[in-house]
Amino acid sequence: MSNTPEYKVADGLFYTREHEWARITEGTARVGITDYAAKTLNDIVYLTLPSVGKEVKQSSSFGTVESIKAVSELYAPLSGIVTSTNKELTNHPELINKSPYEEGWIIEVRHSKFEEEKKSLLSPKQYEEFLKSLEVEHGN
Amino acid sequence: MTTTKSLNHTPLYEFHRKHGKMVEFAGYEMPIWYTSTMEEHMAVRNHVGVFDVSHMGRVDISGPDAATFVENLLPTGIGRQPNGKSVYTLLLNGDAGIIDDLIILKVTEGKYLMVINAASRQKDLRHMQKVATGLDFKMDDITEQTTMIAVQGPDAAKALQPLTPLALSETKRFMHTFSTVKGIESVITRTGYTGEDGFEIIVHDAAGGAMGVWEALIKNGAKPCALGARDSLRLEAGLPLYGTDMDEGTNPLEADLGWVISKDKQNYVGWERLAELTKQGPAKVRRGIVMDERIPRSHFKVTDDGDKEIGEVTSGTFSPVLKKGIAMAYVETPSSRFGEVVKVVVRDAPSSGKIVKFPFYDDSVYGWKRRAPQQ
Repeated sequence: MSNTPEYKVADGLFYTREHEWARITEGTARVGITDYAAKTLNDIVYLTLPSVGKEVKQSSSFGTVESIKAVSELYAPLSGIVTSTNKELTNHPELINKSPYEEGWIIEVRHSKFEEEKKSLLSPKQYEEFLKSLEVEHGN
Repeated sequence: MTTTKSLNHTPLYEFHRKHGKMVEFAGYEMPIWYTSTMEEHMAVRNHVGVFDVSHMGRVDISGPDAATFVENLLPTGIGRQPNGKSVYTLLLNGDAGIIDDLIILKVTEGKYLMVINAASRQKDLRHMQKVATGLDFKMDDITEQTTMIAVQGPDAAKALQPLTPLALSETKRFMHTFSTVKGIESVITRTGYTGEDGFEIIVHDAAGGAMGVWEALIKNGAKPCALGARDSLRLEAGLPLYGTDMDEGTNPLEADLGWVISKDKQNYVGWERLAELTKQGPAKVRRGIVMDERIPRSHFKVTDDGDKEIGEVTSGTFSPVLKKGIAMAYVETPSSRFGEVVKVVVRDAPSSGKIVKFPFYDDSVYGWKRRAPQQ
């Protein structure tokens, strides 16, 4: 398609094939969805998020993100305990569309086995390649 | 997409392809959004938007027996309507099941124009051929020879007026007039599928020119709007979508469309069954539900306060005006009173909501009845 928007892929993050990202710092990780996911969903209007203290497992659903038209599962890029959720999103879910990698972060997780789990995550470069392969698959 | 080759394109396709996110809809490749469903939705509620609705079927009916035909076909008395009227009504089968919903324009006693759903077009035509047996009139499918554009919102007249010699203020709600738009022969009907004031224009543009009309409307301030906003707008206005909120297994009373039936009319397709059903009353009825939180979606179950199942959602979305989840659902009649507290089971979580009247928005603030000067 001639109008395929450019999807931003931020440096320094780890990505999943389900279009989530994780920003790793000592002991904790911020998790969100990618620019591609946000643009594909279009207007994000509602989220269901886990409560603080809940355990999340890599590749398992930890909540949902909804646009006017559709519901999408959120898959955890890594395992751990939820230490915080982005409260700004309750009243401003559109922050995910505006700023998917910064203000639109979704949860924070205290991770436990990231060294092992990162093997199944993608680097920014690998994720970019993955997005290109999706475009080819869809014949765009 | 790999499947797009066999899909139909409207005369405005090049614009959509360039500016919109394309999807398949009823055999057509159509835009789902241009910029954002939310922006497009609010542009129509607050200003004006334009939709390509050329995929809708358009059928000309004319001849000596045309009046008899539409009376035999439809539950609404068309003969008693004035010329120039645009009427919302239903096509029914013999069991009073809904074959389609439509707008019929009564041009004169001997001439009508029907606007039917894209996905139902072929089956509607087959049904109408059957009802037409023995009558002397012509039925012409003019879908391919025309382009249909909906101009919707409180500023619709402002965007359209510069393009037509017709004084739009003289064409009232649910009326239509033959005129020209940018010099091209057109029918202008003051109807729509958004709840707002606005016009649907059928442009007879076999020689091209519809793109010029489309672009001129945009230049006059109308925002291009796509299927996503069309769906959220009609849902917020409480208007059912054929194939989603009703089908041949639904009768007009269940669909809360009993008002289209002319009570004193007989001998049209489905009328005997409809008379029986009217005596019995419907076992379930289409209702609106506003959620306290969460977003209902089609096929979610509806329960009463005590978790007993009482119905099912057929359409659900997030209402951009209410900033809440809203649903259309079929609810058992005893539980369908306005104000009744119900629950919608959102992925295993029963979430509370309330049965409300359509439209979902305050109609003194939004919609064509709003307290604001109309041109």
